[in-house]
Amino acid sequence: MRRYLKLLALAGVFTIVAAACNTGGDTVTTTTPPPTDGETTAAPELQRGGTLNMAMLSDDGITYDPQKEYYSVTWSVFRCCLLRTLMSYRGAAADEGGTEVLPDLAAEPPTVSADGLTWTFKIREGVTYAPPLQDVEITAQDFIRALEREFTPEAGAAYPFYYSIIEGTDAFNEGEADTISGLTAVDDKTLEVKLTTPAGDLPFRFAMPATAPIPEGVTDGHDEDYGRFLVASGPYMFQGADLLDFTAAPADQAPVAGFDPGRAHVLVRNPSWGEGESDPLRGEFAYADEINIAIGGTEEDAAAKIDNGELDYLIDGVHPADQVQRYRTTPDLQARIFIHPSDAVRYLSMNVASPPFDDVHVRRSINLATDKDGLRRLRPGGELAGEIAEHIMVPGVLGDLLADYAPYATANGQGDIEAAQAEMAQSKYDTNGDGSCEESPECNNVLAVTDEGDPYPDQAALLSENYAPLGITLDIKQFDRGTMYDKCNDPASHTTFCLAPGWGKDYANATTFAEPLFGNASLGPDSCCNYALVGATAEQLAEWGYDAPEVPSIEDKLAECNPLQGDEQTQCFAELDQLLMEEVVPWVPYLFDNNIDIVSENVLNYHFDQFAGLGAYEKFAIASAQA
Amino acid sequence: MLRYLIRRTLFLILVLWIISVLTFLIFVKLPAGDPARRAAGRRTNERIIAQARKNLGLDKPVIVQYARFAKGLIPWPGLFLNRQVYFSYSNYVPVKEELYQRLPITITLTVGAAVLWLLVGLPIGIISAVKPRSIADRASMIFALFGVSAPVFWLGLVLLYVFWFQLGWAAGSGIPAGETLWQAILKGRFILPWVALSLAFAAFYTRMVRGNLMEVLSEDYIRTARAKGLSERRVIFRHGLRSALTPVVTMFGMDVGLLLGGAIITETVFNLPGLGRYAIQGIRGSDFPAVMGVTVLGTFFIIVANLVVDVLYAFVDPRIQLS
Repeated sequence: MRRYLKLLALAGVFTIVAAACNTGGDTVTTTTPPPTDGETTAAPELQRGGTLNMAMLSDDGITYDPQKEYYSVTWSVFRCCLLRTLMSYRGAAADEGGTEVLPDLAAEPPTVSADGLTWTFKIREGVTYAPPLQDVEITAQDFIRALEREFTPEAGAAYPFYYSIIEGTDAFNEGEADTISGLTAVDDKTLEVKLTTPAGDLPFRFAMPATAPIPEGVTDGHDEDYGRFLVASGPYMFQGADLLDFTAAPADQAPVAGFDPGRAHVLVRNPSWGEGESDPLRGEFAYADEINIAIGGTEEDAAAKIDNGELDYLIDGVHPADQVQRYRTTPDLQARIFIHPSDAVRYLSMNVASPPFDDVHVRRSINLATDKDGLRRLRPGGELAGEIAEHIMVPGVLGDLLADYAPYATANGQGDIEAAQAEMAQSKYDTNGDGSCEESPECNNVLAVTDEGDPYPDQAALLSENYAPLGITLDIKQFDRGTMYDKCNDPASHTTFCLAPGWGKDYANATTFAEPLFGNASLGPDSCCNYALVGATAEQLAEWGYDAPEVPSIEDKLAECNPLQGDEQTQCFAELDQLLMEEVVPWVPYLFDNNIDIVSENVLNYHFDQFAGLGAYEKFAIASAQA
Repeated sequence: MLRYLIRRTLFLILVLWIISVLTFLIFVKLPAGDPARRAAGRRTNERIIAQARKNLGLDKPVIVQYARFAKGLIPWPGLFLNRQVYFSYSNYVPVKEELYQRLPITITLTVGAAVLWLLVGLPIGIISAVKPRSIADRASMIFALFGVSAPVFWLGLVLLYVFWFQLGWAAGSGIPAGETLWQAILKGRFILPWVALSLAFAAFYTRMVRGNLMEVLSEDYIRTARAKGLSERRVIFRHGLRSALTPVVTMFGMDVGLLLGGAIITETVFNLPGLGRYAIQGIRGSDFPAVMGVTVLGTFFIIVANLVVDVLYAFVDPRIQLS
């Protein structure tokens, strides 16, 4: 029997590794300050051809199913290469207009009715799908099909909440209707969308991959695995997509060869993609003939391969600090490192219903005492990790509106204990007015939850030092990242201080930083991600066991901002950001992340795609293909 | 012989069943995370989570869930690793397809390393045993100590750094997109993984062969063979080694069986998309169907390897009868 101990050892190893690994990693990409470092511009003489070799450290959870994908990495591949949507982006950095949403498959910007409830999209003529459906033209019904799939329970869509404002989605989702009443194909080239409530950001929502057109019949029998049978509409398609046979029974259909999970994703040219005017956003680009994405490896391994030219670009990793330093300081290499804001914020979340953070003066005091620069220095990349954040919404969604706004500014972002103590003295917990609340039991052992991975334990230790002069001591609990988020997100856990969350935009509009983070609809363990409990009702607070009778709410301001459009909406959200920072004070935002990209010498014409926060791969030209 | 094989086959089924129950309990009763919650994404709501739970079959009673998985372990067309149940929670690919595609890589890694550690471990062990306390013996023991002490993950990284990154003599990690397994082998992409994986085993086998052979060579029947005038070569290889190798065969079978279930660390360090890396991905993603598939396959390999070893015993050592 002794030999079978190996079996138990095998099971034991799996158990231990399972406990050690658990959920995924950081959700927010790390990265640096001055936007763009020697970014090149499109050179007309660039030739098409060659292979772009990229790497992805892991493709766990990647399906390439447009309805299921909720990940910037796959969004970057969809936008550049595989899927066109009614609206999209030009594949550029913010300072080059990369956040501007533009017509893609739409022939022109949509029109909206006076009440903001009816939107009409005119669809571009003559655009067809990739083989084997190269003769099938994209029509209005194809967009309706995509949105219906978004609300088909079996498809397991990731973000139907962005489209639940369309009339009739609930009835369709619950099987009470065969179609979504708010979606009408007026004719083959006209799509009408009726909303239940105005949404000024609708064009952004129609730039998401989930709204990309789906031809008739291709998803039949592929509720779970449509990504392996994906019909492209962009300049590329999966290798072998032309061999898809949708006339066969779904179980007999062979998936594309180019999506080989765990090993490689291979994209080749879509021969039916129309260049030039039929694709104004990508028509002059799509330089590489083939895009290979190898899966696996480590960041160090990828760095070495980029150095020696075996690899051109790492999609989902953080470059090692020594490599970044080398590329920053070596003149010959400086043209191959690119630094851009990634439109993500890192912050500390304070539970406004939980003592001592139920007192706004304590929350303001915490903002003043926090050494934001110290937190940044502990992150990979140090000073290059990003800009110190003085408010909540990233510049990518607010433009320069709050560029000079810093309500809790301190010298070098290192905290100001005197100012913090002065604020604390106004708190009900500082009973003797000495700037410290140590005499109040609520300030002792404040339950703080953080990520067990680097650099969060070190950051937590720094924060403990920061708040000691205020009389606040932290009871720090460390968890794997997934559990940490679960704890922060569950009001019943009474997590007072959440030390390691981050948030990135879904699309370049401030709505993605408002309701999901501070709206009442985003409260509770089965929703996400209002960790601060802003806007919780008295009934909810009682249900979750809080003594606080009420907490601040921004519901009125949300209702004011959401229907607005364009600059007017952006201005409204900037005001909301200020309201949050000064009156509600649910967070200590401390870092606006940067993205650091390093490319091999084989890549010419690097561009950053602000939508996904990664490279604009269609613009990467291959050096070896140039004459 | 037939009765023996039947008994062992029944035992194999029993062990597979126990392992499947253990694996199921570990992942269902002690989950690292809720697969439905993960499938529903970070920004979600109750309805999406409930639907994800239903889509993954996690809304059914535990015993029904297990029954569905257990049915997929029956080696019968339409049942074995059926795609209705053995469908990755993570990227929605049939587990069977993944296992079949990754198995050749793991087999290549295992077989290559096994050949290497036998080619290295056995001769050194023999030389060391027949010339104890010689320079060769001392050198072989230093090699054995180093091999046993050097962890694979460290050795793998060192080999990559020296022979790929610094010297450029060997291929780097991974198999590039579009390259077949044969092309990868021919381009030498398995050389460093083979070396890293085999070193520890070679060192262990060296020590084992040395110890066993020295013990056998001191037996009376060896002295008798020498007294009868047999050549030293015949004494060692015909009479000594045959007995000394019996435990080596046992270990070899078990080691190969274990590695066929996935050389997790080596595949991870060298970025080889084999069963070991699939197991790690499955564990990290709480992808229970994937983990169940790899675990059961790994168990199967170990048990079959044991069975083969037991049968081989009869040929290696005439004193043993299968009964």
